Amino acid sequence: MNLSKKIVLAEDNSILSKLLQFKLEKEGYQLLIATNGKEAVNLIEDNRPDMILTDIMMPFISGLEVISHVRNKLEMKTPIVVFSSAGQEEMVLNAFNLGANDFMSKPFSPNELVIRIKRLLQ
Amino acid sequence: MSDLIQNSIDAFQNSHPIIQFCAYVSFLFMAIIMGLMIYLKSLRSRLRIKGRIEATYKKKYEADLIEYLYADDDPENNEQQQKIIAYLAKSSHNRLKRKLIINTFLKLKNEISGETADAIQNLYYKTGLINSATSTLKSKKWDAVARSVRELTQFEIKEAHDEIIPLINHPKKEVRNEIQKYLVKLFRFDGLEFLDVLESNLSEWDQIQLLEILNKFNNLEIPDMSKWLLSKNDSVVLFTLKLARIYNQYEAQEAIKSLLNHTNTEIRIEAINIVNHLGIFEAVEIIKTDLFSRCLEEQIAFFKMMEEMAMPDDIPFIKEHIQHENFYIRVSVMKIMNLITVDTDNTFKVNTITPDFSIDKDLTIAS
Repeated sequence: MNLSKKIVLAEDNSILSKLLQFKLEKEGYQLLIATNGKEAVNLIEDNRPDMILTDIMMPFISGLEVISHVRNKLEMKTPIVVFSSAGQEEMVLNAFNLGANDFMSKPFSPNELVIRIKRLLQ
Repeated sequence: MSDLIQNSIDAFQNSHPIIQFCAYVSFLFMAIIMGLMIYLKSLRSRLRIKGRIEATYKKKYEADLIEYLYADDDPENNEQQQKIIAYLAKSSHNRLKRKLIINTFLKLKNEISGETADAIQNLYYKTGLINSATSTLKSKKWDAVARSVRELTQFEIKEAHDEIIPLINHPKKEVRNEIQKYLVKLFRFDGLEFLDVLESNLSEWDQIQLLEILNKFNNLEIPDMSKWLLSKNDSVVLFTLKLARIYNQYEAQEAIKSLLNHTNTEIRIEAINIVNHLGIFEAVEIIKTDLFSRCLEEQIAFFKMMEEMAMPDDIPFIKEHIQHENFYIRVSVMKIMNLITVDTDNTFKVNTITPDFSIDKDLTIAS
């Protein structure tokens, strides 16, 4: 059932992307990886994913701009989970104001992320 | 053509010595610039090659790490895991490769928690990277020692404690700073045991870093700080006073009172400030007895403290200083007098209404 579920991951940490790709593909999701916000926007426009996972701080276009683009320009209601680091509380609030559905503070547990993805995709 | 060259040489030889000198200097600079350009080109090409090598190994180590983490418990995968461990252990003998492996581990470890983070930590042990880090602690190069301590902190290696603690009085402040961070990050308040033996100065920056680390932890059991308040190292005493203020150490009252007569002025002033913060009323009498033998800064701190701690009995004493030559003391005295009014029948009242200093709009300059 999950095979059809596409997830766009926008994350500039290459090894974390690889780890999440392994983890989520094992769970049956199709993962599309973007290393910056610009790539993420292109992937979202081209693939219309079922879920978006995005880091807040990224090169070129930030996670907040990605959320804004998805909600305001593309007018998509796709669930969005934001990854934040310590000290980015203000940005997380902004992300929620822009339309993010959930957030995870780094360092986070990949298993917990899988649970949240399953819950949001139900 | 040869005539032209010959004529040019003749003209140069017959020219003014200043022109000849300038020409020689120009040739010299041209030669230097050419040399530097060649050096820069080779340096850039070397850096590019190094960057390419680093990128290749980085990719390889990232893939190996992911493969290791996602190899399940079945025997075939276990064999693969053992191969990865052996490969990484072998690679770590090279300094550059070791650095890349460590960076790869940390790059992931800093972003994730739970089982995967524990697995990375285990890999750090299994590849023997921990052994090379602990053996570097004995190095004569201070920067290598500092780097090792930082690495052990990042990987949360508590086992290295006994090897690290003898270095707490290392001559290099960078090493000491890394050790202090290691102890506090991994052992929290228990790690502050280094204050017992610290001989060197704990700089303001070191103190800020330690307080920031401690601030991240909640529900900590706070140890008795009295022994550090009585330390011979003044910076330790000042740092402990900060801790006592942040963590409201009422238990350390006696030690704080004894600091009111410390030889260091800064400590005495800080102690007065803490007396105010913790509300140690017995300390007021101690300071009052010899207030005017104390320095001006202490007197100012005392009156500032009295703004919040003054009792009706203190009013006559405070009133005596309403004409004090120091502006800050006069202001404090007036503030105290404004707060407490003693009536003629010896009763007092605390004035809670803030005086209104706003300008009456109906009044004009002419009126």
